[in-house]
Amino acid sequence: MAGAKIRIDKDLLKRATRCAEIAGYSSTEEFITHLIERELSKLEQSGDPDEKVKERLRGLGYI
Amino acid sequence: MFRGCHKIGQQCGAAGARTSRRRKSRCVFAVRLALSTAACLLAGAIHARTAYAYIGPGAGFVFVGSFLVLLVTFVLVLFSLLTWPVRCVARAFRRRKAKRRHQDVGRVVILGLDGLKPELAERLMDEGELPNLARLREHGTFARLNTTYPSISPVAWSSFQTGANPGRHNIFDFLSRDASTYMPVLSSVEMGKVDRSLSLGPYSIPLGKPSIRPMRKSKPFWHILGEHGVSSCILRVPVTFPPEKYRGVMLSGMCVPDLIGTQGSFVAYTTRDDIRIEHEGGAVVRVERNGNVVNAELTGPEDFLKKRGGRLSVPLKVVIDGDGASAQLNVADQSLKLTKGRHSDWIRIRFSAGLGMSVSGVCKFLLVEANPHFTLYVTPINIDPDRPALPISHPFVYSSYLAKLLGTFSTLGLAEDTWALSEGVIDEAAFLEQCYTFHDERERMFFNALGRTGEDVCVCVFDTTDRIQHMFWRYLDKSHPANRGKDIEQHAGAITDLYRRMDGLVGRTLDRLGKRDVLIVMSDHGFQPFSRGVNVNSWLHQNGYLALKDGAEESGEWFSSVDWTRTKAYAMGLGGLYVNQKGREAQGIVPDGDEKRLLKEELIARLSGLKDTGGNRTGITQVWDSADLYAGPYRENAPDLIIGYGAGYRASWDSVTGKVGAPVFEDNKMCWGGDHCIDPRLVPGVLFSNRRIDPGENPNIMDIAPTVLAAFGIEKPGYMDGKPLEFERESGD
Repeated sequence: MAGAKIRIDKDLLKRATRCAEIAGYSSTEEFITHLIERELSKLEQSGDPDEKVKERLRGLGYI
Repeated sequence: MFRGCHKIGQQCGAAGARTSRRRKSRCVFAVRLALSTAACLLAGAIHARTAYAYIGPGAGFVFVGSFLVLLVTFVLVLFSLLTWPVRCVARAFRRRKAKRRHQDVGRVVILGLDGLKPELAERLMDEGELPNLARLREHGTFARLNTTYPSISPVAWSSFQTGANPGRHNIFDFLSRDASTYMPVLSSVEMGKVDRSLSLGPYSIPLGKPSIRPMRKSKPFWHILGEHGVSSCILRVPVTFPPEKYRGVMLSGMCVPDLIGTQGSFVAYTTRDDIRIEHEGGAVVRVERNGNVVNAELTGPEDFLKKRGGRLSVPLKVVIDGDGASAQLNVADQSLKLTKGRHSDWIRIRFSAGLGMSVSGVCKFLLVEANPHFTLYVTPINIDPDRPALPISHPFVYSSYLAKLLGTFSTLGLAEDTWALSEGVIDEAAFLEQCYTFHDERERMFFNALGRTGEDVCVCVFDTTDRIQHMFWRYLDKSHPANRGKDIEQHAGAITDLYRRMDGLVGRTLDRLGKRDVLIVMSDHGFQPFSRGVNVNSWLHQNGYLALKDGAEESGEWFSSVDWTRTKAYAMGLGGLYVNQKGREAQGIVPDGDEKRLLKEELIARLSGLKDTGGNRTGITQVWDSADLYAGPYRENAPDLIIGYGAGYRASWDSVTGKVGAPVFEDNKMCWGGDHCIDPRLVPGVLFSNRRIDPGENPNIMDIAPTVLAAFGIEKPGYMDGKPLEFERESGD
């Protein structure tokens, strides 16, 4: 997926690559993305009102 | 590694000649795709102002300036054409560097028949009803294919894609929950909002595009193939929305929304006053008839271009013919004749938003009745494949290419309108007509991919098997509670007919394969009856784990009357149970650590083996701690416990949506009378192949990805949990 590039320290990248493999990520990018997502979820609030959220599920035959 | 092969079907000429034809076919496809793109752009420039927009409740429209899109895309196409010879050479060089594929393998073709049940397939093969599948069984492979925990399509197909358990791909159900609000979210995709807009008179023009992020993590095997120079055509595999960039072409599948942003909402216009207005999966609009004329509005997506909001709509007029057997429909500047009981062709509806911008969808109309009462059913408005308002294919012009070549087709993830049948808006015959129309569309694009694109790998998933089994399973058991007051004869053969038709598809596929091509026919799970629903939330309430607000004796959907400050556990979705954990859930009360562990152990002990009222049948066979089931970085996102319902049972309709009521067990009276969201050990899928697999194997759906990689000499990555399936060498080879 398209996105911005950021610079990180080579040694940090090496350590991240090693950890990504051990933890079961498919790539270093996935590992770093997950770390950022986890931190963001602690800071961000869900912005959508409940009705909008429920509407997205409408028509799902299983529920 | 492949060590031998068994011959199936016709001999189809030398492998070398076929490879050469495929290379030529690939070149023809690339040129055709580029020319189609140019044609689309030219048509767009002439007729102009079809916007690339995001649709969705609460997320608004984004209109990228049409001309800018046209210009950029034209430049990209031109660049692509001019650099094509250079890229061909580069690709050939990369291919030479990639490990040689096994010489026994030409193409790998995977036919996904969602929900095909091995026991039923076996019986019908033995009865001579499925000759093509029977030949695969005799000369190749037929085995059970173990499925995921839970045995739900988005989970299983995500494991198919990635070769990994759900702890590594992050999909555990159709739904997950927002721990800060206890509200459900679609597990497979996250839709963002546009933060900035430009105020211009009555308009509020969004600036920038909202994000659409896939929530399925890890990496599909076709990405890995692409990294090694192997290209794939991936059609309608569930949980591929939004489509990701890789080497090949893709059409997104299950979880693509409709134009309104839902998972498929129908509308029915009627003069009857004896039916409900609010329906699951759609709406009924009461209309008045003036003589033989009915006027109405067809409502489309939200209008976020205008400050006042509202919904976009187009006028709709029906003139009923004298005998009521047909009617003339006028909608969106089009006029067509409707025959009672038959769906129309796809009709393109352009919703104009102002400032020269519009968004396009496609839908079908069905004149259900005309005299004395009038009822007109409209399918969910699908995203127009020719002018998609959301990215539904890779490259983005691929859906347009398919539409121009093969005609308009359904793009909605769960296209077949099961709710319209469940709610009695359409009947079984109309539903079957819909299913097989969509199936035929899928088959045309599959055979186009097989014959024209020349990709190395072709995967196509057909949902027809899943939908029809969900809605017609009741016909297999006269005592099914859903049969009360309904016909049980007219469509008694619907499922057998379904399996025969799928067998025909397999035969037609085999006819198109070469000697070295590998065919895999598989399903993600099987099926069982769904006769009784289990409301786990009601059980939790009655057993002191879930509390209601003072004075409440029951709760509406999505836990509206639940007192979270006194609730220890809750169930959401089709198979998951969550601890109301302190520090995780917004109003969690159970601390992590020993208290949580002891609670989980207690719930597992009390729910496993739960008997139905009367004590004869087992509603829940087993409950598992997800920590024991999953490994990987997303394990923390899983429900704490996974529930395995017994055969004949499933989470009740109320339980799934967070309603708490009196009965724990109740009859399922809905037409949706078969299901698979139960103990996964009871619903394995099928694995057929034209190659023979060692019967000692215990194949799992996670094994398909590494098996395909192995066919091309690619070692499976360390994170994949599946193993490549071993194929026997033919004796004498």
